[in-house]
Amino acid sequence: MLLAGKNALITGAARGIGAAMVEAFAAEGANVWALARSQSDAFENALGDMETRYGVWLKPLYADLTDPAAVTAAIRLAMADKLPLDILVNNAGIMAADKPFQLTAIAEMESIFRVNFFGAMQLTQLATRWMARKGRGAVINLASIAGQNGGSRLDYSASKAAIISATKTLARELAPQGIRVNALAPGFIQTDMTQALGDKVTQDTLARTLLGRIGKTHEVAAVAAFLASDRAAYVTAQVWNVDGGML
Amino acid sequence: MTNSEKYHNAFVTALEVTPAQAPDLVYGKSNAWDSVGHMTLIAALEDAFDIMMEMDDIIDLSSFEKGKEILRKYDVEI
Repeated sequence: MLLAGKNALITGAARGIGAAMVEAFAAEGANVWALARSQSDAFENALGDMETRYGVWLKPLYADLTDPAAVTAAIRLAMADKLPLDILVNNAGIMAADKPFQLTAIAEMESIFRVNFFGAMQLTQLATRWMARKGRGAVINLASIAGQNGGSRLDYSASKAAIISATKTLARELAPQGIRVNALAPGFIQTDMTQALGDKVTQDTLARTLLGRIGKTHEVAAVAAFLASDRAAYVTAQVWNVDGGML
Repeated sequence: MTNSEKYHNAFVTALEVTPAQAPDLVYGKSNAWDSVGHMTLIAALEDAFDIMMEMDDIIDLSSFEKGKEILRKYDVEI
């Protein structure tokens, strides 16, 4: 198993790519603190089922990433388990309906950045301090092809571009502490978030995708599990596209 | 081990200095205490006293003596 005995913290864990990551990491032998925005019995039951299936522990944590105090409290709770943290996956993110830049209020842009960028950075600050105690760790940031090529909504694509830039800077800064930092840039993946974009965006995107289909969440999760593992021990400061070949 | 000994040890171990050098250390004034060493020191102090320091305190911890003052906020008397 790729991640046997490792402990990971995954954000946005209740659904979409994050939920697939929790399952992929558990299947590879990792224990996971699964962070979601709000408590849900369905989420906790799913974690319980996976614990039984894969023989690992999966603990729910709750925090709204726009609330710095809540994020700190969640990390404190996880640290109280007195275990090392090996992997952080900054997966949580929000998107909003397409809107032209000139019709987008600055406050809306700030709210996107608050979750997609600043929330991830606060978690990374806390988590990498935790990792540094053992002198090792892996951070995986969820970017997007929109962060590379621009997208239909400026604030979302700019927040993902910021994540890409942060990934490279953090990789440089944290390498002396034994911490690798990489990003994944998913293309069009089947989630609630992309479904909300509508048929036209879907068809336009598929026309530019070599594999000619929408990606599955588990296909992103599988790459994340590899990047988080020791098999990727010489990989840092990279952005890996998981996009079916979008040219 | 007393709190004072734990505190002193954290500096010696994290910054790889001699016990005699530790009390005179100031952040950025020696090769031992650079930004990487600083985060190692913070981890050592958090481990030693089972605390989680706030970002403002991490930034303010700029000398051996200042660290003692900051730790009082976390109910650690050196």
